[in-house]
Formats: sequence, structure tokens, C-alpha cells
Amino acid sequence: MAEVVTRQFVPASQAAVKDAQLRQALRRAGTGFDGTRREAIEEVTPGVWEQWRVQARRIKEHTIGHLDYYLEMLERNVTAAGGRVHFAVDAEQANAIVSEIARANGVWTVTKSKSMVSEELGLNHVLEAQGIDVFETDLGEYIIQLADETPSHLVAPALHKTRGQVAQLFADQLGVPYSDDIEEMARIARVVLRQKFLDADMGISGANFLVAETGSLVIITNEGNGRLCTSAPRVHVGLAGMEKVIPSLQDLAVFLRLLPRSATGQRITSYMSMVTGPRRSEDEDGPEEFHLVIVDNGRSRLLADPALRESLYCIRCGACLNVCPVYQRVGGHAYGWVYPGPIGSIVTPGLVGVGQAKDLPNASTLCGACRDACPVQINIPRMLLHLRHNIAEGPEQYEGTGSDTESLLARGFASVMSSPRLLNIGRRIGRRLLAPIAKGGVLGPTRIPLVSRWTRARDLPIPAPRSFSEVWRDELAGQQSNRSGD
Amino acid sequence: MSQPQPIRASLFVTCIVDQLYPEVGVSVVRVLRKAGVDVDFPEGQTCCGQPLYNSGFTVEARRLAERTLDILDDRGYVVVPSGSCGAMMRVFYLDLFADDPEMLARANDLSHRIYEFTEFLSDVVGYEPRTVGAANGGTTVAYHPSCHLLREMEVKEAPQGLLDAAPGVERVELPDAEQCCGFGGTFAVKYPHISEEMLADKVAAATASGADTLTACDMGCLMHIGGAVSRQGLPLRVRHIAQVLDSGAG
Amino acid sequence: MGIPFNRVSGSQSGSLGIPSQQFRETVRAALGRESGAPAEPYEVLTQELPEIEAQAQAARDRIARERPELLDQLAATAGLRGWNVQRCEGAEEGLDYVAWLVRSLGATSVARSEQPVFDTAPVDAAVAGAGGLCWPAVYDGPASRTEVRQRLAESGMGITGADYAIAETGSVVVLPRRGLSRLVSVVPPVHVAIVRPSDVVGTLDDLFALRRLEYARDGGEMGSYLNFITGPSRTADIEQTIVVGVHGPREVHMVLLNKE
Repeated sequence: MAEVVTRQFVPASQAAVKDAQLRQALRRAGTGFDGTRREAIEEVTPGVWEQWRVQARRIKEHTIGHLDYYLEMLERNVTAAGGRVHFAVDAEQANAIVSEIARANGVWTVTKSKSMVSEELGLNHVLEAQGIDVFETDLGEYIIQLADETPSHLVAPALHKTRGQVAQLFADQLGVPYSDDIEEMARIARVVLRQKFLDADMGISGANFLVAETGSLVIITNEGNGRLCTSAPRVHVGLAGMEKVIPSLQDLAVFLRLLPRSATGQRITSYMSMVTGPRRSEDEDGPEEFHLVIVDNGRSRLLADPALRESLYCIRCGACLNVCPVYQRVGGHAYGWVYPGPIGSIVTPGLVGVGQAKDLPNASTLCGACRDACPVQINIPRMLLHLRHNIAEGPEQYEGTGSDTESLLARGFASVMSSPRLLNIGRRIGRRLLAPIAKGGVLGPTRIPLVSRWTRARDLPIPAPRSFSEVWRDELAGQQSNRSGD
Repeated sequence: MSQPQPIRASLFVTCIVDQLYPEVGVSVVRVLRKAGVDVDFPEGQTCCGQPLYNSGFTVEARRLAERTLDILDDRGYVVVPSGSCGAMMRVFYLDLFADDPEMLARANDLSHRIYEFTEFLSDVVGYEPRTVGAANGGTTVAYHPSCHLLREMEVKEAPQGLLDAAPGVERVELPDAEQCCGFGGTFAVKYPHISEEMLADKVAAATASGADTLTACDMGCLMHIGGAVSRQGLPLRVRHIAQVLDSGAG
Repeated sequence: MGIPFNRVSGSQSGSLGIPSQQFRETVRAALGRESGAPAEPYEVLTQELPEIEAQAQAARDRIARERPELLDQLAATAGLRGWNVQRCEGAEEGLDYVAWLVRSLGATSVARSEQPVFDTAPVDAAVAGAGGLCWPAVYDGPASRTEVRQRLAESGMGITGADYAIAETGSVVVLPRRGLSRLVSVVPPVHVAIVRPSDVVGTLDDLFALRRLEYARDGGEMGSYLNFITGPSRTADIEQTIVVGVHGPREVHMVLLNKE
């Protein structure tokens, strides 16, 4: 499995907010993606967009709610089309399956089309350790493979890199003259990878959707690399999280409308490829073997918690990242694993364990922009709250993740707030203590623990001389409304 | 002509206004009364439990929610000058008591009676501000829609409508208005480095708007934004919307 | 060394990893549900052949009624999605356009599929007239595989027909099979798709209704591949700047015939 550094969220995000290049890249991508997304939605007849969202959500709800049934249907139909389905409980098993397929087919060169699951599994390194050459072919994935990094965004993996950084990377890794001309860099990638496509023994792709009814794997791309990966090599291996299933071919229509608009603001992507089994004998070309690897790797834990189940409805469009004020400041790598942003803050704790990733559900203002943007109406803030609850005082599997200090403060707060008398005493004491060091009724920078975390950038008002309750009792209670009092 | 029966409402003033900003509560009462509302202030109210709930402490949050319900049961309309406390009581109490039918029934009853201040003025009272907004003859105001008001209570038009209708108040657009200010309750102290980045953008937007006053319906957000404005000594007033609508308090 | 999976049966036909039954058992346990079909069946999946036929027929009827409007819509949408759309009265005019393209690109090698559309539109002669050589990219046997691919890689243009074209999205749909290599429309830097009026459908729903019928009919064959092509190959992976022609064609032309 890909390395998990979720515990480093605080230092990583502290470094990220100071990185001017990252900030610039995030700003450009965020406003760009979100702007085109909004335009694409506005273009749709009002109300229709909402109908699509409701419809998509219903499909996901139903499929995930009966996932075992649809997995069986999918397996049956992939098999009937001449493909093979393999099931992996975890990353190690999934990597072993792909390795075995490669070994059995004498594979030495692999081309890959973008797959987040493969990132999750850390598959490339496993294959490389066996002497297999692995080439990412999506331009963004290719860039981060050359840089030996993980993706920082669900749909734009190299979003954090400036053109200059990519140019330097190409010069260092490919031995080409430095050029930060974007067209030229794309051309270089095309030339390098074109031969790999034709030489590759095996193509690996992700899956945006799996159609149970027909046993089809659907991938949605723009570059054409997905088509080449699934067409040219002798063997095609599709990797998919188990939640990717939809029941019928007809269900695909609504997702093809929602996904590109939400992801990049495109009305549709350049390519949609639907693969159903290997080439038939009458086909002109295509792979001799088709394998589908279905991965659990912790998803059944999310499935088992009714409050978190809807995180499996995610179609990985990245819209929640583009609208998230936190993601937009810290970028994808700060989240410490493969899935960043609001949805990552649910999925990552779910897959790697909450104990390792307790900052993720907490590092949100619960502003709700993600839920509004989500094409399948996933209530992300609600799930963040659920995870916070589990961390603070939840079921035993999360015990030990909460902080004792925080818990003590919470109990203290609740006790004070349970008694108006205590609260007023507290206010008077607070005012008496703070008034001498306050200026103009506010507290400036201070070293008081905890309070200093507020006052390092903001003044803090000190408690008022009289509470509103007292003002009401003394001045307002007797009066009546203007109109009735006239 | 007979006077219509005054609308009666109970004020839940929120603990932050009670303890830190009582003048906001005074403006709320004055505007409500100006609108013909018979205001009552149930005694003993403190915190609705939202900060605890947002931090995951549902057991403790339930304690406060229960005593809040005790105070607000059978009170008719409840008006709260905050979108985030309002969202807590309208939306999240239902989650908090999802497995307790008796409490859920009480929470559900409250959720139908509770209104955010501007929402109440606009949707229930049909109030149109008639008196001059600012004592000193006119003010330009930028409105920051606080997140929970906008996305949990789904109150979008009411505050802007009131500002637009208020004589002497000129509303100007706040750039990227719907971006969170970075407060998020304990978020601001748990992750100050992220919160401050968001805050800086919000303050910059408020300055760029050209308004002399920044307003919102939540003192939490305004304490946050106002704290930075005062620290940086910027020439911008930060006021709760009740203060803007309360003539003479400008 | 232990390998963490079980072979269920022989290595070539069997599954790796854990047995599917066991995998589904875990899923079922997580869901806390009994095995078997959903208590309330999924409506689309309950449809029998006559119903699927009726649906496809309804789509066909509507398409036939609205064909002129759909052709206009297709032309407009495809243009917005990055196609160079050339509307032509008939095959002859279409071939003139192809010839003009070959000439202006200076393409010497032009790959094409072997599809019925070329029976009525003799493209080889048109390309030859423009100074190019049009060749069918079909494999005679395994020996020619490498050769065909190399030739494809060197071709300046690939020409295909369309199995469908979708007015809603501006997409050309190709079902690669005998006569149509999957690579003709993706490897050469320019792709020309010849679309006949009878290829046009209105919406994604129309297309899937028609495909479902093919699948539901005798034997249930979906075809190994179905591909939507909507505009040129593109990327925005570096600084969100759009570049066309990454791995696929940089230029795509839709020759839209008004008559068959």
C-alpha cells in the first residue's frame, strides 16, 4: 500500500501554506476548475441539474446497498464476455494478483492509464521490484511518476507543479533540453510514451464505472492514453474499488452528464471507452486477455458504518477539492495519502484507520461548500462530524485517538454553560483578569496558552461588563414592541 | 383601522452575544420591536451546544441541547441572531437526538419554530426597514454570508433584501462572498495557520469591496474577521446586521 | 515464499485472490443484509426483451421524426466540443472535403477502416487524387500486426465511419470489430469520421437503449469495445493550460452527410 503520512498533517500543512508556488498553482486550478464547473451547470436547464444529482444518488444508494448482489452480477457478466474477475481484500493481495497476471503472461513492459486505486495500492513499485518497466501515460501521472511523488488532486495529479518545475524534471529525468513551453513538454511526453504504448505487453487502467448488467468497465479520459492502454497490449488489467458498480447500461447516461461537468467543467470528455471482455475472435484487434481486479482494502469498513456508507458513492470528480477552502490552502500532499480534500478526509481515515488520520476530519470549518458541489449529494460535513464524534467519545475502535485535554475542556465548557450563574461568575472573573492587559476592550498578542493561537493574528474581545441577560433584566424587559406600544 | 395582533417571539440571544457582545442583543431587540414583534427573553439560556457538537463531544452537547430545549419548549417562535446556532437548533439537534424519540419530538418541534433573525424579519414578519440605517447619514455595507446560515439554514436572500431595503444603506458586493472566513469554531485555534490564510483573503475581499462596514448574521465569524481588522488597524467597521438595521447604532 | 492468494482453479481460467463468494460474504456482513436479489427489484433490470425492444423502437421512431433537427444539433454541439464539422449533401461532397484535407495536410499515408460507409464513399480514389495513399488498416494475421501498427504510427490521417453519433454530446461512437482497428481513430494525428444521417441518435439515453437491445438479443453480446470520441485528444495537466493532441489526434473532422 502507498505510504501513509497522515500523521504529518499539521507540519505538512504549515509548510504548504508558506509555499507561494503551491498557492499560486492551487489558486489557478481551483478558480479554473470551479469556474468552468459553475458555467457548465448554469448551462443546464435549471432544476435539471438537481434532478440528475438526485437520480445519480439513488442509483448509488441502491447499488451500494445491495453491493454483494451487483458484484455477483458483474462477475457473471464479465466472465460470460470472456474476462476474468479477481477479488482482493487488501493492497498486498491486489498487488500479488496483478504480479501473478504479469508473470503468467511474460510481461516486461506495462503502460498505465490513470488509476487512483493503483496509487492507493502502491502497485508501480511492486511491479518494478519484479523487474517490470511501468509507465504512467496520463501526462499528470507521468509527471509525478518521474518526480516519484503521489498525486495531489483526484483529477489533476500534478496540479502542484509549475511549468518550470515540470521542465526541470523533464530535463533531469529524460535528458531533453530545458523548455518550459507547455506544448513542447506535452509533445515530449507523447514521443516518449508513443513507443511504450506499442511495445507494452500489458495495459493497466482504472475504472470510472463498472456496469453489472453487461460486465463492462468504463473509463473516461481526455488524452487518449486510456484508449491506447486498453487496446494495444496483449493483456488488459482493470483495477477498481468495489464501489464502482452501477446496475445497468442506462444508468451510465446520468453519470456521463455529471462527472465531466463536475470534474473539469467539460460537457463531456474527449473519450469514453467501454471495455467488455477481451477481443473477440472476429475483432480486428484488442487484448487477448481481460482481467478485472476488484479491491476492498478497507472499503467494507466504510460500508459497515451506515453513517459513513455514502462516502462510497463518490465518483472521484474532485469538485469538493476545488471548492474546499482548506484544500485550496494546503494542497493535496498535506493530507498525507492518496485521497485528499473533503472526501479524502472521510475515505482516508476509513481506509488507513482513524487513529492514524485524526487531523483530517478535524481540519475543516464545516462550511459545507463540498456538499453543495458534490454531484451525488454526499453529505461530507455530516460524516466529518460523525468521525469527530468517534474520535472524541466514540466506539471502542477509536478509543485512544481523542485528546484528554480537549475532553477535559469540553466537559468544563459544558459544566459552565449548564449554569447561568457559573457563566456570569466566570465572565466577571475573566473580565477582571483580562481588563488590565486589554486595550480598547480587546486582547492583543498574548502568551496565554490556547488563547495565543487565536491572538497571533486576531484581537480577542474580553467579556462584557454586563451580560445581555443583565441588560435585558435591567433595561429591556419592561418595554413592549413599538407598534403594540403606540 | 385596527392594529394587527403583534407577533410574539422568544429571543435566543446566543452565548457569544450574551457574554461578549450584549450591544448586538440590544440592537436585535430594538429592530424586532420596531418591526412590531413582541419580544420575550426566556431566562436561563446559555449555549445551544454547537461548539461541543462540532468538536465531536455529542454527550456533552446533548446536555446543553436538552437544557436549551427545556427553556424553549412551548415558546412559539424562537429568533436567534446567528446562522450557526440556528443551524444547530434547526438541523443538528435532529441528528443529536436521532436515537431518542422523546427528545427528537421536542427537537423537531423546535426546528419548525426557530428562525434566524433576518429570516424571521423577512419571511414571518414581512418587515421593511423604514428608518435610516445609520445615524450619520448613510453607509456602504458589504455582506458576508456565513456558511451555516447559507448552507445549513439555506438563508440567502433575506439579509441582502433587508440591507437593500434599508434607507441610508448602500450594499456593495463582497468579492468571493461565499468563501468561508476560516473561523469554524475550534478550527481557528486547532489549525490557526490555515484559518489565518482564509481570514486574510476574507479581510482583503472586504477591503476590496470599498465598503465602510462589513456585516454578517453571525458574531462568531464577525469576531474572527473583526479581530483581524482591529489588529491591522483597518478603516473598516465590523457590525452584526442587527446593528446596521438598528437606527442610531450605526 | 507464501503467496497471499488462493487459486480457485487452473491458472489460466481461474480467479486469483480470495474466492468471490467469500468477498461477497464480507460485503454482505458489512451491509447486514440477507443474500439474494434486492427486495425491491431494480426497475431497469426487470425489463424483458419485448420491453427493451419497445424502448429502442420508441427511440428510433423519435430519432426518425426529428432527424433534420438532430443533424443540426449534432453539428452545433460537435463544433463546440472541438470537431471541425463539415456538412455535406452527400458522399461526393464529403470526399471532396477529405481530398482537400489530405492535400492541405500533405498527408501521404492515410489509414482507414473497412466499414460499409466506404462502399458508398470510395475514399481511396479521393485520397489518391489528392496525392495520398489510402490503405485499410486491417490485420491479415499475427505476422502483419507489427507492420500495421508501424504503418499506422507513420500515417498522417485515419478515416473511420461511425456506428452512432450523439446529438446531445457531439460524440462519434465507434464499435471496433472486424474491419475497424481500435487504433485507426487514435494513433494518427488527424482523425476524420464520416457520419451518415442514419448514424445519428438524440441522446445518451437513446444510445444506451439501442445498445441494450443488441445486448439483450440472442446471446447477449455487448461487443468488446465501445468508444465515444468527442473532439481532439487534450490535456490540461500542466498549469491547467489546454494542449491538444497529447496521445490521440490533435485534429478531428466530422464529415456529416445530409443524405446517406
